[in-house]
Amino acid sequence: MSDAHAHAEHGEVQIDKSLHAHVCSAGTFLKVYVALLILTVLTVGVAQFHFGSANLLIAMAIASVKAGCVMAIFMHLRWDTAINNIAFLGSLLFLGLLFLFTMADFATRGSIDPTMSQHAEPPAQTD
Amino acid sequence: MSHGPIVQTPTPEGFRPHVVAHHFHDANQEFHSVKLGFWLFLATEVMLFGGVFAAYFIFHGQYPETFVKGGEQLSVPMGSLNTVILLTSSWTMAMGVRACQLSQKKQMLGFLWVTLLCAGGFLVVKYFEYTAKIEHGLLPGSFWHPHGHYAEEFANVEWPNLFFSFYWTMTGIHGVHVILGMLAISWLIWQGGKGRFHSGFSAPVDLIGLYWHIVDLIWIFLFPLLYLVP
Repeated sequence: MSDAHAHAEHGEVQIDKSLHAHVCSAGTFLKVYVALLILTVLTVGVAQFHFGSANLLIAMAIASVKAGCVMAIFMHLRWDTAINNIAFLGSLLFLGLLFLFTMADFATRGSIDPTMSQHAEPPAQTD
Repeated sequence: MSHGPIVQTPTPEGFRPHVVAHHFHDANQEFHSVKLGFWLFLATEVMLFGGVFAAYFIFHGQYPETFVKGGEQLSVPMGSLNTVILLTSSWTMAMGVRACQLSQKKQMLGFLWVTLLCAGGFLVVKYFEYTAKIEHGLLPGSFWHPHGHYAEEFANVEWPNLFFSFYWTMTGIHGVHVILGMLAISWLIWQGGKGRFHSGFSAPVDLIGLYWHIVDLIWIFLFPLLYLVP
């Protein structure tokens, strides 16, 4: 490629054949779409039963599977470069840190310093 | 003064050629640079919504009754319909990007139009939901003034306005993203109709496609957390 550049005359038009982007088959997209619809029905169905605090975990687990399908296939992350995967999945890592330390704070309030409030208070109503 | 050669991407019949910007070595470098930049932008989107999600989980943990009572006021059929609409639009967007990569202009425009219509449909459903909530006075923060039996429903829960503060903030920020996405997709249809996007230059369709999938991704989490409060 760089050789071709070096030999090119000023103003000459070069056709670059090096653009590589993965093309996914239409069948795969359709399968993922159907899977997403089935998982949506499952989300609504599961919510009709009460498993206590497990409901939140189940809902988030199904949502994560759906999100994984969208990211890997619809967004082509599966076939994307390592640097793009790191850039985006890195944000999920930092999101995890945000959740972890915030939850750790609220879960242990009052257990170390009893004078600290056990609850997070929303802003007072103004009326 | 030395100029490099003008580098073009391969242009199929009936399309406009794309000239690689002069500060890039070749088309491949241009494509991957712009794509990395866009993935970083999408990472900031994850952090933007992530902060609100973190707040949701904390307050949900502290005042579960408020959130369950609030979630009961939302229409599951409406929320499910919007989920299906957005998933469909995400699929047609993926198909549109594929058509662009294969230089199938007509198919690409068709898929982009369906995506745009789905986005519009989503906002129409949201309009009906929003007007009903405004009518009932189920508004965020200090605007909270539930009418009639809604006042009784929330009489015995702590911080009754809390759930709807989250509902309006989360769906509001998401809705703004839907509107911006519609503008971007409209631009793709306009420029795509002129033959600007093809196998040699698909980056704008690719990137706006990624943005649209993120909008869908956020809704995938919003739907169970707001409409099916666990």
